[in-house]
Amino acid sequence: MRYYRYIFATLFPLIALGVILAVVSACTDVGPAVAVTGMLLAITALVCLAVFCVRFMTCANQLVDMLKNEKLGHIKMKRASGLGPLAEAIVNFATAHTERADRLESARSDMSLQLQLLKKEKQNIEEIIFSIRDGVIVTDAFDRLILANNAAQKLFIFDAAAVGTRTIGEFISHTEFVKLITHSRRSGLRHVKHELTFDTDGRTRIFDCIISCVRDEQDVTSGVVAVLHDITREREISRMKNEFVSHVSHELKTPLASINAYAEMLVDGEAQDEDTLDRFCLIIQDQAQRLNRLIEDILNVSRIESGLTKVKKETLSIAILIRDAVMMIDSYAQEKNITVNVQTPVICDQVYADRDMITQVITNLLSNAVKYTPSGGAVDVGIEVNDAEQVVRVTVSDTGVGIPPDDLKHVFDKFYRVEANKACAKGTGLGLNLVKQIVEKVHAGRVFVSSIPREGTTFGFDMPLATGPALEKVLEK
Amino acid sequence: MSNEQPLKVLVVDDEIHIVQVVAIKFRNNGFDVITCENGAQALQLASDEKPNIIITDVQMPVMTGIELVQNLRSNPDTAELPVILLTARGFEIEDRQKAELNISAYVSKPFSPRELLQSAEEVLKESVAV
Repeated sequence: MRYYRYIFATLFPLIALGVILAVVSACTDVGPAVAVTGMLLAITALVCLAVFCVRFMTCANQLVDMLKNEKLGHIKMKRASGLGPLAEAIVNFATAHTERADRLESARSDMSLQLQLLKKEKQNIEEIIFSIRDGVIVTDAFDRLILANNAAQKLFIFDAAAVGTRTIGEFISHTEFVKLITHSRRSGLRHVKHELTFDTDGRTRIFDCIISCVRDEQDVTSGVVAVLHDITREREISRMKNEFVSHVSHELKTPLASINAYAEMLVDGEAQDEDTLDRFCLIIQDQAQRLNRLIEDILNVSRIESGLTKVKKETLSIAILIRDAVMMIDSYAQEKNITVNVQTPVICDQVYADRDMITQVITNLLSNAVKYTPSGGAVDVGIEVNDAEQVVRVTVSDTGVGIPPDDLKHVFDKFYRVEANKACAKGTGLGLNLVKQIVEKVHAGRVFVSSIPREGTTFGFDMPLATGPALEKVLEK
Repeated sequence: MSNEQPLKVLVVDDEIHIVQVVAIKFRNNGFDVITCENGAQALQLASDEKPNIIITDVQMPVMTGIELVQNLRSNPDTAELPVILLTARGFEIEDRQKAELNISAYVSKPFSPRELLQSAEEVLKESVAV
């Protein structure tokens, strides 16, 4: 630029000098030579100035074009062409700018990538949270909803997409839960467990609610996470187990109490004659056997369930097993003044089964029928063969207390006892479960029940006959 | 005791062998024993036979031992009648309920007839003293 400054600084005085000489020669008599010289000088200087201006403009235009097209390399090559310092300054500035732009672009790309990764990660986390069966609710520092998975929305009955910026108290009606969230946020507690109950669809459900505060980098509570886990089933199982332990304990202690008491009576010499002594000994023996049967029942259910039971199958007649079972139950029925009627027509009723197990099935059904039938009632045992289905059907019907409809589907469940009939008789809730396990799991049969409350109940089972495809099915099993 | 009217004990249990063993033990020791198998029958007998003490099981059909005691306590004639609970489930009775029912003693199954007799005699002594 300094170079151009010198050129302009030289040319302008020359032009001025030439013009002055031309004007002076025209006004005075110094002669045409001076005028011509002045004019030539001025013209030459003007021409030079024009040439330099054109060249300057050309260079400037080229520079502009190159800047527009970002051809900094070309600018560098043109430095020597006249606009060197300007071009160099521009190149330096542009290079610095370009490098900064490159760095910014690189940073922008990185951030864009990180943003995408974060979005993907957030999506994955949300998918995980939405896929879990426990209810999850996340709120912010003002108790407004940030996230609620499907389970939570279903539990609290709201649509997360429609709640906007409302606080949870405005759309969740479970006041205890809302209070817990607010209290937890204020107190900043973490991993606090509460138990909440929900009455939905006419039944009560119990949830473990674990609430934890979320803290930011300044350790200030920025929100609350609540996880709700349904423990209704666990509670039900726990209750059934406790009830079972209580029942079994009672059932075990009753014969044990007799054994203990009569043994002590013998020791204390309370049996004052031979007959009493014999009776005491027989009672001890009888109660010991009862205790053993009870323990066997519990073990049998456990063995069948775990598949560890030893099954000895043979071809045998159901009618004969029924006859034997009725003989076993007869004294108990007579004691209660209950008539047991057996209808066992002469039919082909051979089944391929475990004798002891099927005897236990029939005995359990018979003793239940007698147990839940009031004095003076009747128990009918029937047997029939369905040739089409190749099964033999055994039914035990009583004129007992009956079973409420809601209980019918549960009567074969382990440890289940009909609440309304508990006062009628004692039991562990194992007998019918054992019947079902033996018939269905061991013999590929089917159990069924029908009942009319206060009129009576019919329990029964179908067993494949020991011939044809039904037997093959049993053999395969 | 032989010259006096024997004390009357009512034994209530749906387990016939338990009833029998308790009855024999108490009869052998000079008591007059009446028995039945559920709370409803016991309530009637308590009113008709006026026993001096009742020994009852808790878990029974028709009417439980607890319901029996509740009914006894609601009747002025039997409100103060000593009752011994003979149960395999004694741990399930709450303290509050125990106080309300005014149970004289608890004997858990399996039990000793000897100790049951001692317990009954102590309760009867206390009730006479009162």
